[in-house]
Amino acid sequence: MGFLGYILISTGLVFFLGTTIGLLRFPDFYTRMHAAGKGDTLSTVMILIGCICLVPMDLLLAIKILLIINFIFIGSPTATHAMMDAGNKAGAVPWRKDSE
Amino acid sequence: MPELPIWQFDVLLLILVVVFAVVALSIRNLMGAAVVFGAYSFMMCLIWAGMGAVDVAFTEAAVGAGVSTVFVVSTLYNTGATMQRRTGGLAFKLFIGVVVTVAGAFLLSALPDFPKWGAPDSPVNATVAPYYILNTFEDAHVPNIVTSVLADYRGFDTLLETTVVFIACIAIYSIMRVDNAKLETDEPAIVAAPRYDPSDSLIVRQASRFMVPFMQLFALYVIAHGHYSPGGGFQGGVILGASLILLAISFDLKFLLRQWSEKTLMLLVAAGVFLYAAVGLACVFMGGNYLDYGFLDSVLPGERDMARSHGILLVEIGVGITVMFSMIAIHINLASNGRFDRGL
Amino acid sequence: MEKLITNFNYVIVVILMMIGLWAMLAQKNLIKKCIGMAIFQTGIILFFISIGAKNKAKVPILSKFVVENSSAIIVNDYANPLTQILMLTAIVVGVATLGVGLALAQKIYQQHSSFDEDEILENQRK
Repeated sequence: MGFLGYILISTGLVFFLGTTIGLLRFPDFYTRMHAAGKGDTLSTVMILIGCICLVPMDLLLAIKILLIINFIFIGSPTATHAMMDAGNKAGAVPWRKDSE
Repeated sequence: MPELPIWQFDVLLLILVVVFAVVALSIRNLMGAAVVFGAYSFMMCLIWAGMGAVDVAFTEAAVGAGVSTVFVVSTLYNTGATMQRRTGGLAFKLFIGVVVTVAGAFLLSALPDFPKWGAPDSPVNATVAPYYILNTFEDAHVPNIVTSVLADYRGFDTLLETTVVFIACIAIYSIMRVDNAKLETDEPAIVAAPRYDPSDSLIVRQASRFMVPFMQLFALYVIAHGHYSPGGGFQGGVILGASLILLAISFDLKFLLRQWSEKTLMLLVAAGVFLYAAVGLACVFMGGNYLDYGFLDSVLPGERDMARSHGILLVEIGVGITVMFSMIAIHINLASNGRFDRGL
Repeated sequence: MEKLITNFNYVIVVILMMIGLWAMLAQKNLIKKCIGMAIFQTGIILFFISIGAKNKAKVPILSKFVVENSSAIIVNDYANPLTQILMLTAIVVGVATLGVGLALAQKIYQQHSSFDEDEILENQRK
């Protein structure tokens, strides 16, 4: 069970790396927010599930971590949506391939 | 090599934190500077948690990284200023840089005399701290040493700290608050109006409506469980304040003001300090010193040590109430430019 | 050189304090001055926390096992709680000070429509 925990945490870190590369390399505000929002939530949830697998004997702690996962799963995409909405209303223009 | 657990990780984080500080000061876009400042606070929070200070890290995460960033962003939103003016004055900055480097060199010349990082026999650990560690559970029946020392052994400091938060709230109130009736005649034309209404989004409203009760429940848990786990009055109070700030941000400021009117807010800010001071006075009436909770054992259930534990809980509740309403009042003042009608 | 590694945290603390001090003196923008003040304060807090850290020490919360069995409490097992308590106060006072600084900055902006020191002084002389 502990070994599974380490694998999950490492996978979460790999997804974080992907998120960071996307944040730096994408051409546009919307695509960057897309990468950041999705990759961020997924990596955090994976790392937290890995943490659950590392403490299987302490049931109360596992339930608390599950609740944290629940709230991050609701809050982080909402924050991404709020930022994208704000960018849209402030007038950010989507990148088009021909405008390069 | 220092022997702290995973010292390489700590060294890396310390170098990163300096990088963050430099970046936060050199970004010209002020919103970006506010966000990097929030990231700097989170990084500091990680370092402190790694060095064994979880209560401090909890407070910094709630206060420094959460509420501070909201205050700075509210100020920027209200004034409409987003970019720092590109100035010259490089000679002045270099001169200050030289002065600061000389001062830093003076401070660093004391480096060889400091005790090693992480040494158990340094002078800090020699005098009062072992007494607190050994005797907390016998005296006050509270396993969290930080909470018991904060609220019991060093109760005066915490009372005055709560008063400082109260004074800051009053100071901001008296600086910012303007009377709406006199606005037309006296004040010059101010504030850039917001370009859109932030409360348009259904998703944000529904998500915050879902999260606010759980945030408040968690905050009450943090205050009550501060005896046994990292937590206590400050952290719980800030989380409670943050839950209502979330309501103000995602709905409308007027929505929050309909639930909690201005008079209620300012009365309750004072009520927390009053509760703390009243507990101390009650101890005097029972025959002991000011804030000596052991003498409340005739009124509260249990022996002397349980009475001290309950006394600590009462003052933590007082601290939590003051901090909660202070954070809300400061946010409303900063976000609505003192006019309490609409804002971030 | 050996001292530089074993006392590395003090080096970082002095660097952070000096960065904060430089920002408060040399930056012209009022918001940057407030951020510099906050950096200075967190540098001081880092100093106090790092001198209270102990090698292989736990968080200063007595565990359930120690409490229920009232076994002997080894002092060197726990990080120093005294410095952490002082710093809890310092953080809260720091955010209160930041709030007051930002309120003053906002009022100054209302009068002079600028956060920049030079423009404000010029405006005042008119």
